[in-house]
Amino acid sequence: MPKSQYIDPGKVFEPGYIDFDSIPLCRYNKTIEEEKQIYSKSDFMRIYHDMRTIREFETMLNEIKVKSEYNGVKYNNPGPAHLSIGQEASAVGQAYCMDINDFQFGSHRSHGEILAKGLSSINKLDDTELYDIMKEFLDGAILKVVEGKQANPGSVKDLAKDFLLYGALAEIFARTTGFNKGLGGSMHAFFIPFGIFPNNAIVGGAAPIALGAALYKRANHKKGIVVANSGDGALGRGPVLEALNFASMDQITKLWGMGGKYPDDGMPILFNVFNNFYGMGGQTLGETMGYTYPARLPAGFTPSAMHAEKVNGYDPLAVIDATTRKKELLLNGQGPAFLEVATYRVSGHSPSDSSTYRTPEEIEAWKDADPIPAYRRKLVAAGIAKDEEFAAIDEEIVNRTVKIIKLAIDDEISPRMDLSKQPDMISSIMYSNGHVKSMDTTREPEVLIPKEEDPRVKQIASKARYAFDDKGEMIPKMKLYNIRDGLFEAIIDKFYEDPTTIAYGEDNRDWGGAFAVYRGLTEALPYHRFFNAPISESAIVGSAVGYAVAGGRAIVELMYADFIGCAGDEIFNQLSKWQAMSAGILKMPVVLRVSVGSKYGAQHSQDWTALCSHIPGLKVCFPATPYDAKGLMNQALNGTDPVVFFESQRIYDKGEEFHKEGVPEGYYEVNIGEPDVKREGKDVTILSIGAVLYRALDAAKKLEKDYGISAEVIDARTLVPFDYSKVIESVKKTGKIVIVGDAVDRCSVMRDLASNITEMAFDYLDAPPAVFGSRNWITPAFELEKYYFPQPDGIIDVIHEKLMPIPGYVPTYNETELEHIERAKKGV
Amino acid sequence: MANIVIMPRQGQSVESCIITAWQKKKGDRVEIGDILFSYETDKSAFDEPAQVAGTLLAVLAEEGDVIPCLDPVCVIGEPGEDISALIAKKDDAAEAAAPAAEEKAAPAQEAEPTATESTGERIFISPRARRLSLETGVDLTKVKPTGPHGRIIERDVDKALDLGYTATTAAVESFLAGKPMPAEEPEAAKAEQQPAQAAPAAAAVAADDLLAYDEEPMSAVRKAIAKAMCASLSEMAQLTLNTSFDATNLLAYRAKLKAAGEELGLSKITINDMVLFAVSRVLPKFPEINANLVNGAFRKFRHANIGMAVDTDRGLLVPVLFGAEKLSLADLSALAKAKAAKAREGKLTPDEMHGGSFTVSNLGSLGVESFTPVINPPETAILGVCATVNRVKADGSVYPAMGLSLTFDHRAVDGAPAAKFLKELSTALENFDLLLAK
Repeated sequence: MPKSQYIDPGKVFEPGYIDFDSIPLCRYNKTIEEEKQIYSKSDFMRIYHDMRTIREFETMLNEIKVKSEYNGVKYNNPGPAHLSIGQEASAVGQAYCMDINDFQFGSHRSHGEILAKGLSSINKLDDTELYDIMKEFLDGAILKVVEGKQANPGSVKDLAKDFLLYGALAEIFARTTGFNKGLGGSMHAFFIPFGIFPNNAIVGGAAPIALGAALYKRANHKKGIVVANSGDGALGRGPVLEALNFASMDQITKLWGMGGKYPDDGMPILFNVFNNFYGMGGQTLGETMGYTYPARLPAGFTPSAMHAEKVNGYDPLAVIDATTRKKELLLNGQGPAFLEVATYRVSGHSPSDSSTYRTPEEIEAWKDADPIPAYRRKLVAAGIAKDEEFAAIDEEIVNRTVKIIKLAIDDEISPRMDLSKQPDMISSIMYSNGHVKSMDTTREPEVLIPKEEDPRVKQIASKARYAFDDKGEMIPKMKLYNIRDGLFEAIIDKFYEDPTTIAYGEDNRDWGGAFAVYRGLTEALPYHRFFNAPISESAIVGSAVGYAVAGGRAIVELMYADFIGCAGDEIFNQLSKWQAMSAGILKMPVVLRVSVGSKYGAQHSQDWTALCSHIPGLKVCFPATPYDAKGLMNQALNGTDPVVFFESQRIYDKGEEFHKEGVPEGYYEVNIGEPDVKREGKDVTILSIGAVLYRALDAAKKLEKDYGISAEVIDARTLVPFDYSKVIESVKKTGKIVIVGDAVDRCSVMRDLASNITEMAFDYLDAPPAVFGSRNWITPAFELEKYYFPQPDGIIDVIHEKLMPIPGYVPTYNETELEHIERAKKGV
Repeated sequence: MANIVIMPRQGQSVESCIITAWQKKKGDRVEIGDILFSYETDKSAFDEPAQVAGTLLAVLAEEGDVIPCLDPVCVIGEPGEDISALIAKKDDAAEAAAPAAEEKAAPAQEAEPTATESTGERIFISPRARRLSLETGVDLTKVKPTGPHGRIIERDVDKALDLGYTATTAAVESFLAGKPMPAEEPEAAKAEQQPAQAAPAAAAVAADDLLAYDEEPMSAVRKAIAKAMCASLSEMAQLTLNTSFDATNLLAYRAKLKAAGEELGLSKITINDMVLFAVSRVLPKFPEINANLVNGAFRKFRHANIGMAVDTDRGLLVPVLFGAEKLSLADLSALAKAKAAKAREGKLTPDEMHGGSFTVSNLGSLGVESFTPVINPPETAILGVCATVNRVKADGSVYPAMGLSLTFDHRAVDGAPAAKFLKELSTALENFDLLLAK
């Protein structure tokens, strides 16, 4: 909504047509003689070598899967193997063009892609750099294997090829000497020092992540491009389409330059579709898609159609030709770009695939067109090399592959994780628990004004940082430093400290976020650090993952927690899992802010903490006071783990009612994982999650005043991790606990807490822990909310019905056990 | 509507109580909290306050009557109210109960096993209340459940403890396991019924004046003492060691307290208090003596919980001085006096008499020079304090010698350690001023 761009009704209704430029289809037509001007003999031979290496690697895996034997080596591999026999020319052609600082993100059929990029990088790195990389990676664990057992390891580049093949194969076989200690596996192998970034078992999952890596390059002025590989099947997925759109946003070239102050380059990303015509068994051409050509798609996203074209993926030289041109466009600031690389998978989707969806004739026809022998014949015919020279390469590759598989299946050399001897190995990498103030200390953060001059900073300076005056009277809300301010302070401080920090989401800039947390950031930050994202939750969260993986720190926002579903895969499979799947190599400094609504009905009022808490790998916060909001946000922003930061719209304007000294102006942290006693008591404990804290306190006051019952109120503050000690201590004292929150009762975090407290403090309990969440309904209109969300009277009802009948008490709601049995029977 | 007041059940082991006095009479106005009547169990005396206001419409039992627990005792209602139905019900209940009582009387001797049989009823009690019960030895039969589903919760146990309802831990465990509290009542109940049957026989021979006597039923306290003493002697291997010590120092110190202690409030400290004090300091060094022996296991107490035998109108009562080893002489003396006074007034609660680790009995003031005190089960020893007599030393000098008689359970303690205990106690008493300095 930049005011500089006027939407003119006079122009909006003008008649006319949308013109499309033609999209080239397989227009490569260079002769081998022309190519000889570009490539040396060794270049030509290297292309053959790399394709042949991939073919042998995939053949080996296929034999192992199908026959449990490859060249006399017996092995059984129960894990997946999504092979790409037939697609080698596409992968090698692409990788040929890429430099070390070009990032590649792959699909779930990515063995060929990672080997091609690895071999390309090995060729481009000098021997010293190469050796250092191998020596440093996992403290030389992989190098030791490939170097140590060989009498004559050969040249550094030979050693590096062993290193690459072994690291990938050991990973596929789940060995601790794999690139990710066996925690990634076949579909997730990657090796960042060679520019090989995480591949994804979720079809199309890598597209928004690759976008995020490109955003990192774009926002931090880093060299190189990002290639987002996917199959044609992935084009049916929303996150891919969202990423295409996000990368194409007008603002990147029209607004981010800010009148020449900053670069106005387009997003340096190449969306590369390896079109093999099948998404597993569904045929995209003629059955599950209507586009005929994937290259048609980008015409819908930008006037330039992302410079799309289709190229023959069975000809490595055609792929190199096209990819080189796309890369040039990106480096010239004309991104994003799109390439359809038409290819074919001769092997099945997996070795269990009996190809019922295609005819033997079709497969045979493609085998006849096999790119590797075709390329070899072409080079022999052009007199570039003799057939024997290719035979020698073949032999070397087979020998290397046999050598590598023998190493990779040797349990002594390539052990699996021993979780009986080291039971904490996986536990220890679920979180990185880092403490990094700035992800890049080599440069100053780009800002528009000194922090002190920011209008919001000035406004906050006049606000009361404690909610009550000397007489104990509540200060008027307009003069109170509130939760919004606490969040803002932590965030703006980080922007002025860490140059990589960026924030985006829907309506963030100008508007200041739908709930005004970001008001004042627009004045302080350039566009490329703080911008409005399209309404694309998958791309918002997915790109944050890529941004972090590439080395930056991102704060992204979902306007309502209800939209978590729109970013489901990105939160549940990507944000949460990559630290552990990388064996701790990757860090994920991302804060995902989600706001919990009220008054806005069934799709805008849900507390979905349970969904996020259920997924291993995420940290989950839900503060309810300005002090906690700022302290938790500070720690989240200083950390290296993904934090889902729940905020409640009910209490954004709450002042600080607990810390008498007020919310500190300077830096401090609240430990993620520590609940906080907000009110001491001795008869019953109320454990609250989020905004319900204030209703719990009201209930506690009433219990004290009317019934002489002293309630202790504990604010959970964080749900994952969670230190039970304070709660157990309280339960030992009171013997009774009710856990309250605005989430629906069924399968809530409250239920999880109750179950754990029962186990941990059984002998101290005077009644089973009671849970009081919202009803298992849709959220009704605001006027009816008191029948849905927990209210103070309801909390007392539950205490009366389930913990300690209060003499003379008359319940307001029906929270009896009989009623609960009836409700459960009906599923409500 | 009229309300029946029943005889409260003061513990699973109590089947009936004696009404000792009516504080209200028929027709009296009664307010909530007014004492209706006083009654006694074999261990303690209680007052029953009114739970409702109204007029005492009917008194269903006389002073001295033994009333089974939970049976009606009186009726409170509004004047003129028809309570015949209520009383009739009571009569029905009595009639119905009578044959049952007779039946019970006959096979009572062989009815013992029922005590160990499961009652088949689950006890609904929260884990916390269960834990607290075991820790405190609350008499669970006295606990009124107020939790959800009639569950016993912590506050219910607390309330019963406040009212002084305790039992042994073993009894609580047994009750929680679904068995009745280990019952003493069948015996007691039998004993109660005997005088009733014997009375007519006594009347038949009353013609002969020379053989005339006044029959008086054993009081509940007497019965309890009888039972405990018989059990003590029949179940333990008791023997007594006698010794004496030179009480010169002790008596001198006592004289000093008496003379100079007035203004310090120390003049009331007795010889017995001083002996208790010495015992409290020596006892912790002899864990097998500062112990209970229960079901083949020693309970070696961490504190010196010294029972103090007190002679009362009702009979011998033994209040416990808990944690005596931590008390100063003055505090111990004050506590002993307070407990003795409560014992004489019949105000001791059961838990004030439960949990002793050792007992001291003093017959010295009555001139007894040596005796064989009987151990208070399940303790393992008891000290008798005897009179002071003058003895002559080898050099012809005379000194006051105070006698000590230690009875111990040879199952638990051997002669030598028991003798060592006596020796160390004698030394402590002989050097009482030094003991105080420790």
